[in-house]
Amino acid sequence: MEKNSILNVPLLSPGWKKLAFVFFPLPVLLVIGMAFVNPQSDPNDAAQMIYGFWAIGFGILNLTREKVEDEMIRSFRQQAFQTGFFWLIWGLAALMLINYLRYQSIASEMFTAYLVLFLLNLYIYGAFQYQKYMASKDEN
Amino acid sequence: MKNTIKVERAKKDMTQQDLAEKVQVSRQTINSIEAGKYVPSTVLALKIARTFGVALEDIFELEAVDWA
Repeated sequence: MEKNSILNVPLLSPGWKKLAFVFFPLPVLLVIGMAFVNPQSDPNDAAQMIYGFWAIGFGILNLTREKVEDEMIRSFRQQAFQTGFFWLIWGLAALMLINYLRYQSIASEMFTAYLVLFLLNLYIYGAFQYQKYMASKDEN
Repeated sequence: MKNTIKVERAKKDMTQQDLAEKVQVSRQTINSIEAGKYVPSTVLALKIARTFGVALEDIFELEAVDWA
């Protein structure tokens, strides 16, 4: 069956996973380095930098092809994106509720684009790995 | 949906890997289908049936839960 090229999502080759894993320790090292250079730096900036780098890392992992990208893996990937988005919405709603109960205000400042992208990509990655784990569990 | 892939494989003396290569999926996918954890697409189901030289309904059978 022919696939609609507009809706097709090209995936990165598996080698990109190595690059993705560089993005996890890198911001931590950068933040430590920046703290030494400028001890007065805002901790919120450090957090946003870490969220941003981790969002890129998980984003690359989510868009990297598996060794065998067959229909089951494609199905897991589609489910992971849907589930990841679902968890993001409920997670953000829970954070808003906690924020309201603690400070009596529904402030949106705490949800930066970096945080939301990090959480979304993390949830997608988690949902994808969970499905792969469940499929490989109790193998015959 | 239950299936008799394992039985058909035994008849043909095929491993999961052999079948996986014939229908161009991973061995894990064949394992998941046999275990009922993954329901294959129509295309893959037809490829599997054709590999064994039997009709689709001879391998795959709907269960009551599929109608729920």
